[in-house]
Amino acid sequence: MRIEILFPEFCNLFGDLANMAYLKRCLPEAEFISTTLTEEPRFVSEDIDLIYMGPTTERAQERIIEKLLPHRERIQELIEKGVAFLFTGNAMEVLFEHIEDGGRRIMGLNILPYYARRDMWHRHNSNFRGEFEGEKIIGFKTQFSMSYPVGKLAETEGFAKVIKGVGMNCKSKVEGIVRNNFFGTYLVGPLLIMNPDFTKNLLQRMGLRPHVALESEVEEAYKVRLADFRAKG
Amino acid sequence: MFGQLRFYFAIFFARCTALVLKLIGRKGTSMPGSWAIILCPDFLERIPKPKTILGITGTNGKTTVSNIIEDVLEDLGYSFVCNREGTNVHTGVASSLIAESRFWGKPKRDLAIFELDERSSPRILPYIKPDMLLVTNIFRDSYKRNAHTEFILDILNEYIPDTTRLILNGDDLLCSSVKPHNERVLFGIPRRDGETAERKNIVMDITACPVCGKELSWEFIRYHHIGRAYCEGCGFTSPELDYTVENIDEERKEITVKSAEKEYVYPLLNSSLINIYNSLSAITFLREFGISEDEIAEKMAALSINETRYNETEANGKKIILHLAKGQNPVACSRSFENVRNYPGKKAVILLLDDYLDAKKSVENIAWYYDTDFEFLNSPDISRIVTAGARHWDVYVRLLMAGVPEERIVHIKNENNAAKMLDIDDVESVFVLYDVYTVELADVIKDEIITRISGEKTDEN
Repeated sequence: MRIEILFPEFCNLFGDLANMAYLKRCLPEAEFISTTLTEEPRFVSEDIDLIYMGPTTERAQERIIEKLLPHRERIQELIEKGVAFLFTGNAMEVLFEHIEDGGRRIMGLNILPYYARRDMWHRHNSNFRGEFEGEKIIGFKTQFSMSYPVGKLAETEGFAKVIKGVGMNCKSKVEGIVRNNFFGTYLVGPLLIMNPDFTKNLLQRMGLRPHVALESEVEEAYKVRLADFRAKG
Repeated sequence: MFGQLRFYFAIFFARCTALVLKLIGRKGTSMPGSWAIILCPDFLERIPKPKTILGITGTNGKTTVSNIIEDVLEDLGYSFVCNREGTNVHTGVASSLIAESRFWGKPKRDLAIFELDERSSPRILPYIKPDMLLVTNIFRDSYKRNAHTEFILDILNEYIPDTTRLILNGDDLLCSSVKPHNERVLFGIPRRDGETAERKNIVMDITACPVCGKELSWEFIRYHHIGRAYCEGCGFTSPELDYTVENIDEERKEITVKSAEKEYVYPLLNSSLINIYNSLSAITFLREFGISEDEIAEKMAALSINETRYNETEANGKKIILHLAKGQNPVACSRSFENVRNYPGKKAVILLLDDYLDAKKSVENIAWYYDTDFEFLNSPDISRIVTAGARHWDVYVRLLMAGVPEERIVHIKNENNAAKMLDIDDVESVFVLYDVYTVELADVIKDEIITRISGEKTDEN
């Protein structure tokens, strides 16, 4: 089992690398590879079972687009083949058609049918409650951008159906994107620790036993948090 | 003409508000400034300013440093306007200027000293145009307000006037990069014994060379990105320092500061590294303002640390230490946790980390726990950790992720029961780590601990 963490020196905001720290505890035998922005990603030439990228700053995001642009076909091929991906925060925007920032238009890898619009004067912070394959997903959002579909089919690939909170944009009914085993979500922080059912789902999709570390503690924390989310909106 | 009339109306209304607040006994509010800005959005631009304006900003330490600077200058007989009793955002600055001005806004003082929230810079700096601005450091802070350090740096670079003279932390590559063309003075603490290039923290907000992008090499890393770095690719290095700490005498609580080839000894409030940085930045600022070494040293000797941030009490030979651990601020909390670990002897810890206000009406974003070095609390001489509050299950999981053995942790929802859960027999000190919103609660818990310690001692007797 090989897991590649893309550009952790830049993609490390909002405690999201805890997702990988937790997977290390879930999968003590797995090999975790950290690839820096100056290196060629391993997925380009090697078999990788999960590719992870976390949230980053706006300037670093643009450098990452430049870095990954030559590997667009390979990323598309891996998604179609069913390789697992987890892109959190604004990481998934790298794969969008484009990102708008004031008068600027930054072209993305154009793999996912969305575009993002940054608004550096208004930071969006909210709590999210949704559902994916019958399980409740809870999480937090803290971001400058909102995303909008390009074409009518985009929202059919939504990751979590919105129950309470904001999806891809204030009017969207879905949060994030799922395509085969690619997961992209704006939910930040320790997503896998906060959502043990989703973590088990992800492990199963990677062909593994749905066993998570600190299972009873993480599940109890999830139940308490979910009840709190329900009670307080 | 309309704009000026609006300004006069706004200042008149603000004065009436201040008068009403005074009559009902409320102090330190930014309400007069809020009204002034609501009624006249360019109020800060229009109100006449004192001749000299000094500012203190940065992620951590700005309140403590502002207090030191203001106390020293006040003791030296300077008369100035400041926002110490109010807030450090634009409305607080406006309130202070209104309070210390004549009826239509002419300033009563020639000098102003403002602690400034870095996130609020766009609404303050272009209008007050500080003559001198101290930036204590730039760290990752509240995700909600401050997003990330690149965002804060962009704000500072855009809104600090070109004419402002800067006093910057030279051990902080982010801080020392602010407004590269402005006149600047840098302070820092050279490598100390035992400091290595090993990374000890989760958060490190600069790892790549700002010039060529290659991974930086480090002469030493003190904590997070504080240290001295160089690039093997392009030759970039941390900047030369103008004020350096040449010696730290922890026993005598003194530091020796060198500038322009001259060394001078100053008293310290507290010998933790954070407080040495706070003192050094205040000394640098005051020296650059023109205060002599003798005057600074004499007045600093008379200061005491703000007790709402750190307080040590002793009961029957055991120490009870209240230590601020600012919530949603991963670096400030990590510093507190490291201070606990480094404190000598066996310890117990109470964690009150919840955002008290968030907990009442919402569910706090817990992502910041995972940018915070809870790993420092995984130390054999910390025998018990009690975590209390709405998010106690989440803190418990975080502590387990940090490797703290489960038998050392107690987690409960009700903060009022935290003191009861302590096992204080075999510890020499008890730390209570609290957020800015739980100062009063921490005091109540401290009193309960003292009662327990005193009672148990009496029982033994």
